[in-house]
Amino acid sequence: MLDSLRARLLLWYALILAMVIVAFAGTVCYLFWRSLVRDIDANLRADAVTIVRALHPAGPDGFDLDLPAQYSDPELVDRTIRMEYAVWNNRGELIDRSDVSIEGPPPVRSTPATAGQWRELSSGGPQGVTILVRRDLDDARSAVLSLGGTVTAAGAAALALSLVGGWFLAGRVLSPIARISRVATAMAAGDLTARIPTDRTENELEQVALALNEGFDQLHRAAERERRFTADASHELRTPLATMCAEVDWALMRDRTPAEYRQTAEICRRAINRMQRIVEGLLLLARGDPASSPFQWLPVTLTAIVRDAVILLTPLATQKGIAIETRLDEVTLRGDADRLTDLVLNLVSNAIEYNKPGGSVRITLWADDTDTHLSVADTGIGIPAEHLPRIFERFYRADESRTRGSGGAGLGLAIAKWIVDAHRGQLECRTSAGQGTEMLVRLPAPDYSSSSSRVTNVSSSVLTARTVSGWLRSTPARARRFIG
Amino acid sequence: MRLLVVEDERDLAETLRKVFDEEGFAVDVAFDGEEGLFKITETAYDAVILDLMLPRLDGWRVLASARTARVRVPVLLLTARDSLDDRVRGLNLGADDYVIKPFALPELVARVRALVRRAYDAPFPTLVLGALTIDTAARRVLREGLQVDLTAREYAILELLTHQQGRLVTRSTICEHLYDENTDVLSNVVDVHIAALRRKLGADVIRTRRGEGYMIDA
Repeated sequence: MLDSLRARLLLWYALILAMVIVAFAGTVCYLFWRSLVRDIDANLRADAVTIVRALHPAGPDGFDLDLPAQYSDPELVDRTIRMEYAVWNNRGELIDRSDVSIEGPPPVRSTPATAGQWRELSSGGPQGVTILVRRDLDDARSAVLSLGGTVTAAGAAALALSLVGGWFLAGRVLSPIARISRVATAMAAGDLTARIPTDRTENELEQVALALNEGFDQLHRAAERERRFTADASHELRTPLATMCAEVDWALMRDRTPAEYRQTAEICRRAINRMQRIVEGLLLLARGDPASSPFQWLPVTLTAIVRDAVILLTPLATQKGIAIETRLDEVTLRGDADRLTDLVLNLVSNAIEYNKPGGSVRITLWADDTDTHLSVADTGIGIPAEHLPRIFERFYRADESRTRGSGGAGLGLAIAKWIVDAHRGQLECRTSAGQGTEMLVRLPAPDYSSSSSRVTNVSSSVLTARTVSGWLRSTPARARRFIG
Repeated sequence: MRLLVVEDERDLAETLRKVFDEEGFAVDVAFDGEEGLFKITETAYDAVILDLMLPRLDGWRVLASARTARVRVPVLLLTARDSLDDRVRGLNLGADDYVIKPFALPELVARVRALVRRAYDAPFPTLVLGALTIDTAARRVLREGLQVDLTAREYAILELLTHQQGRLVTRSTICEHLYDENTDVLSNVVDVHIAALRRKLGADVIRTRRGEGYMIDA
């Protein structure tokens, strides 16, 4: 591909250069020819004058022509000036001529003209005499041809030389493209660490290379994230799978008692629950691609969502001896009711799960001019500072055993973060070890300019029709996902 | 043979405990890395099954610390981490085997047995002792072609003494290899088993070094 580009570049270059050389050679030869002809014309005028001077009247209408040897001696003339002449009197009778082939008399023109191989001048002389002088153009022609040949040869040599230079030059210019192409090919083949070397910064193509490298970096990071996610997901799924395999293998080794079989079934059930939670979380995140499952952007009353979530999670809190306190302002915003429900359930169930026995969860919801704020604070053990930057990563656990014991899949906060991001909000975590953790959601206020009158109606209908009845229908599975 | 299972997934740890218990091992379990490392350094196990993703102290560090402390016990890494890098890293840190979850139970048992054989420098699955043939895979003892009926403990003592053939094995060593941490052992329980073994196999197989322990002559 690049070689053909190089060849095409060179072809155009050669074509233009050849045209320039031809034009140049043509101009040079033409100018040379003109100067030669001008010289000949000057000589012809001098010849005519010489002949006029050499005419001596003889008799009533006659003339004698007494030319110097360089004009009259045919051999000498042929060797030197190659001039021919003829002279007629006023009656058109030939007085003298140097060659029999000259017919005449011609009309007097007094400017030189070209006739065949000759340049000739016919001029009038004293007493109606007509003089024709002509000089051979062969010498001039061959001189021009010889010059043309020389110029052409030199031009061809220059063309060849510049073609060779052009081939190298084109290669040099195209070499960054070749580098880029090589790296792109390596990337396509799966080597995501390949980068275009960028050392020669004076080149415009370096900017392209830098931009491409930046793109490659992002691609690499995305692929790396994807790879780690896949590895984590498979790791998370393998552990319960291993438990089931080992347990079933053990049960099948020999005959077991009904109690032993029951125990095996229970262990398998627990492993299945965990895998189910992981798969559900993964599906939820996979659906994070808005193209596959668009958000329903409708006005929703967040207060109602929080209240319903608290009602749903109160049994769990009671079971763990944890009190839930709420201070909720009426807040309506534009968002996806199902996703916001997931978010609130997630945060509140986390706050219950990682609390101390006898602790409390405080939920506060308020709005200011620009934002809606939801704070879920627990009195749990807090999250150690070194874990904070990573808690929103999928499968990340601050404490393996703690989360494992409660059966979490390590996806909850990743999902929460994703939901908040999709609402163009911010999710913050403030924590102090031993004192508790506060998850703070900030969502931008909705734009009411379009449909403020419908807000209350739509939001309440959304909540009753979709969200709440949805919870009731799927409470066991849905609640398990967040509670477990 | 005494085995330590370090695994934070409790269901899996309990399954492994009962599996290896049935296979004649005395099994201890640790649910996190710190507990695992403590047990590894404090007890003379015949093999350790070690998970990598552990709370408190991950498996890598448990393994590295144990090897730094010159603990020689064979270690089998049992983990969901299947990448080549992880496997190589684990083996280079001093692991003796690497099994990826999920695994086939019979294979895991066979691998642990192989580790124990290697640790005792006894590559042969069948041991011959005069007229006795000990099949360590099936855990059977044949005397002149006829199977001798041994209890699990009796078999375990015989296998231990045979592995250490020609060397003195103290009573406390036998206890350590036969009973897990949750079993209180009466001091004379070993003597009782030895007496039973002599009755079944012949009085001259096991020699008593009074006040020190037992041995089988080379």
